[in-house]
Amino acid sequence: MSAPWKYEKDRIFIRRLIALLGIFFLLILVLISRVFYLQILQGDRYRLLADKNRTSIRLTLPSRGNIFDRNGVKLAENKKNFQAVLIKEEALDIQQSLENFEKIISLDEDEKLRIQKEIKRKRPFMAIRIKDGLSFSEAAALHLNAPDLMGIHIEEDLIRSYPLKETNAHLIGYVSLMNDKDLEENPDNPLADLPGYRIGRTGLENSFEESLKGTPGIRKREVNAYGRSVRVLEETPALKGESLNLTIDTRLQEIALKALGKESGSAIVMDVNTGEILAMVSSPSYDTNIFTMPVPVKVWRSLIDNEKRPLQNKALTGTYSPGSIFKLVVALAALENKVIHPHKKFYCGGKITIGNHDFHCWKHGGHGMLDLEDALMHSCDVYFYEIAQQIGAEKIIEMAKRLGLGAPVEIGIKGEREGLLPTNEWKKKRFNDSWRTGDTVNLSIGQGFLTTTPMQLAFMTAQIANGGKKIKPHLIQGMGLNEAKSLGLKQSNLNLIKRGMNKVVNYEKGTAYRSRINVNGEKMAGKTASTQVRRISKKERAKGIIKQEDLPWKYRDHGIFAAFAPVQNPRFAIVVMIEHGGGGSSSAAPVAAKILAETLKLYPKQSKR
Amino acid sequence: MPFFKDRNCYLKNYNLSLTDKIKGFNYKLLLLVCLAVFISIGTLYSAANGEWHPWADKQFMRFLLSLGALVFASMINLRLWMKYAYVIYGISFCLLVGVMLFGHVGMGAQRWLNLGFMNLQPSELMKISLVLALARYFHGATLAEIKSIRGLIVPVLLMAFPVALILEQPDLGTGLMLVFCSGAIFFLVGVQIWKFFLVGLGAVISVPILWTFLHEYQKKRVLTFLNPENDPLGSGYHIMQSKITLGSGGLFGKGFIQSTQSRLEFIPEKQTDFIFTLIAEEFGFLGATALILLFFIIILYCFYIGMISNNYFGKILATGLGVNFALYVFINIGMVTGLLPVVGVPLPLVSYGGTAMLTLFFGFGLVQSVYINKEMVIGRNGSIDDD
Repeated sequence: MSAPWKYEKDRIFIRRLIALLGIFFLLILVLISRVFYLQILQGDRYRLLADKNRTSIRLTLPSRGNIFDRNGVKLAENKKNFQAVLIKEEALDIQQSLENFEKIISLDEDEKLRIQKEIKRKRPFMAIRIKDGLSFSEAAALHLNAPDLMGIHIEEDLIRSYPLKETNAHLIGYVSLMNDKDLEENPDNPLADLPGYRIGRTGLENSFEESLKGTPGIRKREVNAYGRSVRVLEETPALKGESLNLTIDTRLQEIALKALGKESGSAIVMDVNTGEILAMVSSPSYDTNIFTMPVPVKVWRSLIDNEKRPLQNKALTGTYSPGSIFKLVVALAALENKVIHPHKKFYCGGKITIGNHDFHCWKHGGHGMLDLEDALMHSCDVYFYEIAQQIGAEKIIEMAKRLGLGAPVEIGIKGEREGLLPTNEWKKKRFNDSWRTGDTVNLSIGQGFLTTTPMQLAFMTAQIANGGKKIKPHLIQGMGLNEAKSLGLKQSNLNLIKRGMNKVVNYEKGTAYRSRINVNGEKMAGKTASTQVRRISKKERAKGIIKQEDLPWKYRDHGIFAAFAPVQNPRFAIVVMIEHGGGGSSSAAPVAAKILAETLKLYPKQSKR
Repeated sequence: MPFFKDRNCYLKNYNLSLTDKIKGFNYKLLLLVCLAVFISIGTLYSAANGEWHPWADKQFMRFLLSLGALVFASMINLRLWMKYAYVIYGISFCLLVGVMLFGHVGMGAQRWLNLGFMNLQPSELMKISLVLALARYFHGATLAEIKSIRGLIVPVLLMAFPVALILEQPDLGTGLMLVFCSGAIFFLVGVQIWKFFLVGLGAVISVPILWTFLHEYQKKRVLTFLNPENDPLGSGYHIMQSKITLGSGGLFGKGFIQSTQSRLEFIPEKQTDFIFTLIAEEFGFLGATALILLFFIIILYCFYIGMISNNYFGKILATGLGVNFALYVFINIGMVTGLLPVVGVPLPLVSYGGTAMLTLFFGFGLVQSVYINKEMVIGRNGSIDDD
């Protein structure tokens, strides 16, 4: 018979069963509400996340805009580039493939190390760059040996190329691969992450990066969790960057660079009426193509350690005392402010004494009595010492500003230097000292604190040559001023200055007489400048001045020559600056003469540009 | 109701013929179980991008094999199951020891025993064996014994030994399932509630101690569970992606074979542990809810069969197996929806996998046996005689 405890056991079981069922029912409700929460309440959020998961937006590299000179010569273009890449999952034996690769093309130790690192790091289907910049024949050799190079592919892309190499180095600049610092500095550049993207570093490549780089294409792909592309959903092709058409004439670039030879310096040729820059070179130059690939340390060091600083664009960023060329400014300031009569004469006895300090003329013994035109011709220092004291520094600086000194010329390349127009306020701030007469005297011959860039001097010379017409120097076609404005200078005053400049070159006693030119009757007028880079002590002066040739290179004077041609109805202005050339008349003027003569030949009077 | 019938009306020598058994089969439960498997096969077909290979075809073969196991288990006299309950438990235990000694290491854990024709997972077998053994024990125990501490020593040890071995493998999910399943059976047979609270309190206190025994990956999983979004590319990645997959399904889902998440391999093991996310993504909230309700109905059936069984062994067996099934459901869905840590418990009948389906079907075969023999009276020691 059934014992009573058995009924009790069943009764308890049923009770507990119902309780457990209740608990399970609650748990089921929890699950359903959780699914409800995720799918209905949070559904939109997760759908968004799922879409993000599913599609990957990849940018494709646009090709960079070309750069042409004024005659349509290509200065920067995109060339086919072959690079060898390794895809791990496609190689049976990665190391064997690499060994076989090295039998055909050698790799240096750094590269090998990088490749091994990337092999460890990258996912099996991602491309690892083995070697970039392969020549066509190297690529062909790799193709032939493809069976031994499992997993290694030749990829073709476009790379920046400068067919004229060093001719336009400082002007065009170069592009190079992004580094970590660039990535930080360009957080908004969508191209920054693309492996083949090269950013404009210097020159126009840098200044016009925005318009040159183009618009990246968009490739929307469906990807799985590992990032492997499943299929392309949508593709918008990349748009090539805008082309740049320059005012530069490559022929003149070549002529100018050749004329500068091995000297360290720069040359600028400008159209005085339009402001178009026909040539702008800096010497020594370098082949910009080397920067599109990682630069070997050796090459980099040789560029950096060179005392002639080949990487610097001296036309825009070299700041020098303008020396006697500044006498043009002082003369104009004197005439415009009616401080002197145009034919006012002064006596040059070789030096003047202000306070207890002697200020010497460059000519020992002096020039005797001379007027402004002759003072310019002889580049007599004492004459300008005299008139500068009468004008005052302020008015000289005002005139310098009017002519374009002391401010960036803004020809279209970033990183230009401004030079310095010293003032009383500036000196107080800088040296905690007030402006003295000695400073004005120094200023009058373009020495002392005053510095200018060759581009500023070219700008000034062009505006004097064109008869005081305001221009905008520029490198890109169409960036000049549309309407001619006057600087408000008196024609007769400008003509006097121009006559002085004519005498400098075309009169036997002129400082640049040896560099005179005559191209179909068209002559040049100019002004020389030799600027000291060291102070000549009293003792030294007494001993007799050491000849420039006997000084070490870096102690020799800078030579500058600013000129225009032809003398009647000038069309071109030129500035040649030669660092430590040993004097303007001997170093810079002959170079300028060569370049200007060629310019006149290339652009004869009759031709209408 | 059957359990209020006069017990003496049944013959002592209670034996059913084969036709009786076939007639007595609970076809509704069988149908529900098969429905779950068909859902599984359809989902595996979708997971493979509309291909039978590699999962759906295999799962179908396993289904046929498992169906055989179900019928076999159901046709055997319940008395026989009770008689051999401890033997089966003993065999399972030996296999567990065997897996510890010679087991196949897979996925960083030693879980499989290679029998030549299939990989056997003894821990799965143990889930059923333990229920059988506990059912046998509590069938014979008096209420006084159940309520005493002494009477609980044997069932606690029955549970503790295999759990220890399984945690050693290490397989946290299965170990916890055995603990919860046994706990539910202890609850059903009438162990006092305060004892559960006591054990619960003890567990809370011993968590820091147990923590030191956990494997590094288990610790990581638990930590990740606590804050998955902290580490979206590490261990939290599975949970994040699982939630994204599920959540992106919305109300109606993306449609059959239209999954974007699962198809694109965002979900690892999408065909096994995370298959629920795929169903929820393709069929939305409605589909997911329907599946959960299907599971609940299956649980209800097991409980119902336990309720109407005339013998205590059958009651515990059917309910215990129902609880086991329910735990699969709760833990798996809880884990893929981010409510529980990822412990590697498959979705019953739906996830791709051989042993789990085979043992589950075998379990449902036992439930059927309980149903077929629901009116059988079994004596305290398994004899026909009542004592």
